Amino acid sequence: MMAESRNADIAIVGAGPAGMAAAVTLADAGYRPTVFDMNAAPGGQIYRQLHAPQASDAVMGKDYRRGRELLDAFLQADIDHRPGSRVWWADNDASGTALGVLARGQTQRWQARQLILAGGAMERGWPFRGWQLPGVMNAGAAQILLKQGALVPSIPPVLAGSGPLLYLLAWQYLRAARPPALILDVAPARRYGEVLHQVHRAWLGRDYLLKGARLIGALKRAGVPIRQGITALEAEGDTAVERVRYRHKGRWHTQPSELLLTHFGVTPEPQLARSLGLEHVWHAGQQCFVPRRDATLAAGTNLWIAGDGGGIGGALNAEREGRLVALSLLENEQRTTAEQRREGQALLAARRRDLEARCLLERLFRLPESWLDDQSAETLVCRCESVSRGELDLAITQGGAGPNQLKAFTRCGMGPCQGRQCGESVTRLLAQRLGGTPDAVGYYHIRPPVHSITLGELAAREASRA
Amino acid sequence: MFQRLDTAATPTRHVQVWLDGEPHRVAETLTVAAAVLQLRGWQGYRRHVDGTPRAPLCMMGVCQECLITIDGCANRQGCLEPVAEGMRIERQGGDIHDG
Repeated sequence: MMAESRNADIAIVGAGPAGMAAAVTLADAGYRPTVFDMNAAPGGQIYRQLHAPQASDAVMGKDYRRGRELLDAFLQADIDHRPGSRVWWADNDASGTALGVLARGQTQRWQARQLILAGGAMERGWPFRGWQLPGVMNAGAAQILLKQGALVPSIPPVLAGSGPLLYLLAWQYLRAARPPALILDVAPARRYGEVLHQVHRAWLGRDYLLKGARLIGALKRAGVPIRQGITALEAEGDTAVERVRYRHKGRWHTQPSELLLTHFGVTPEPQLARSLGLEHVWHAGQQCFVPRRDATLAAGTNLWIAGDGGGIGGALNAEREGRLVALSLLENEQRTTAEQRREGQALLAARRRDLEARCLLERLFRLPESWLDDQSAETLVCRCESVSRGELDLAITQGGAGPNQLKAFTRCGMGPCQGRQCGESVTRLLAQRLGGTPDAVGYYHIRPPVHSITLGELAAREASRA
Repeated sequence: MFQRLDTAATPTRHVQVWLDGEPHRVAETLTVAAAVLQLRGWQGYRRHVDGTPRAPLCMMGVCQECLITIDGCANRQGCLEPVAEGMRIERQGGDIHDG
């Protein structure tokens, strides 16, 4: 069907911290990896636009600047970096992986001997009534606007949800002299005390905890109201958000606002790993599916996953895993030095400590698994096909016993986002209704194309190899 | 709406784009969806197939809520396409609400 393949010895999908670190490590070892990335510049979401920062350091904070060394190393190394490239298809066998890549309106076929998936995470789709209204955005999306063009809301937003990003964005807005109107935190105040009782983890995670305490302290000192332990959230309005409703200490409150920025944690972006048929398991702490990897971070033959796409560990862990994957790959090819093997051991030990500490964050920012049950029946679960929780409930009552049956019954997960926003909500709902585990319920079958591609783009394949 | 902080850290070139037929200058670092959120905000960004108004949710290529017409091609992911000099951007059913 497609033209002859281009060859990549090692292909990396994603140029965030994991992909960049893997590429730099491999380039140092004499390889020239091919890096496909959807974005126009390397850095991923965390280090977006860091090559020419838009908002000042005073606004962004020092964690953003931290990626500079890695970014510079990536930009200077001999790497076949292909920005603006979407890998929409992949097929893996013992000899390697075939990839369909969409770039500049044309599709290319690549054959990679080794493949490293470093596609990162996405913000979790977490339905509440009115979340499809204009004026509801992910907090991460708002932070992307800040990084991309120093863009801040023209009106003070309400920030709601759970997770460190909520407070980081609020703090960044405060530093930009645009403090939010209100912060609504799903985590009850007592959780902060509870995690401190996990003394060993609290010690390992002291940097995370101190950072969080500093952000919250600064916001409180500036007089930003924070409600901890909200148990419900709704956005209301006619053609856009006009007010935010929330339940706090058993009572409903209304806050007039035209902008609600929400964050309910992040989950691995699953599409490419799923379409390759890789096994996924439910991670109870992270409250999401993660692809199964062995101790070397391999997820299959000549196939590796590094960074948040393999389980949420944050930017520093992603960078570490990028190096680890590169070292595992080199070890596989018997190309590692004694020094590199020692470095690998040290990275593994640091990773263990860091992930242990992150259990604290998972505990602190844990979302109520029953959230969707408490939503009104008209709450949209699948935004693309406008399928409500009530319709899903009805389909389950009528015998819909799994995610793919619900898809056939209601079209949930069949829209352009391909279930990225609703997939785990549907799994969660089925697990609750049928009394099974998320692992037993499973997930949608994901098939290529995993990115939207027009027939014209498919037909406009390259006339010849470059 | 979103506004650009006047304390931006790096001098940045601006390009001219046409949004619904009107010329505007925006920072070249922006994607199409970011430029529209700066110029017009989230109201009237897009009308969904079910007739309801929608606007970008994720800004990172996941949600497909930012679909927009770029240089005559409909349903492009506005959050993944960088703006370019002379680019023509049209919101899909924004002010017209034609479903």
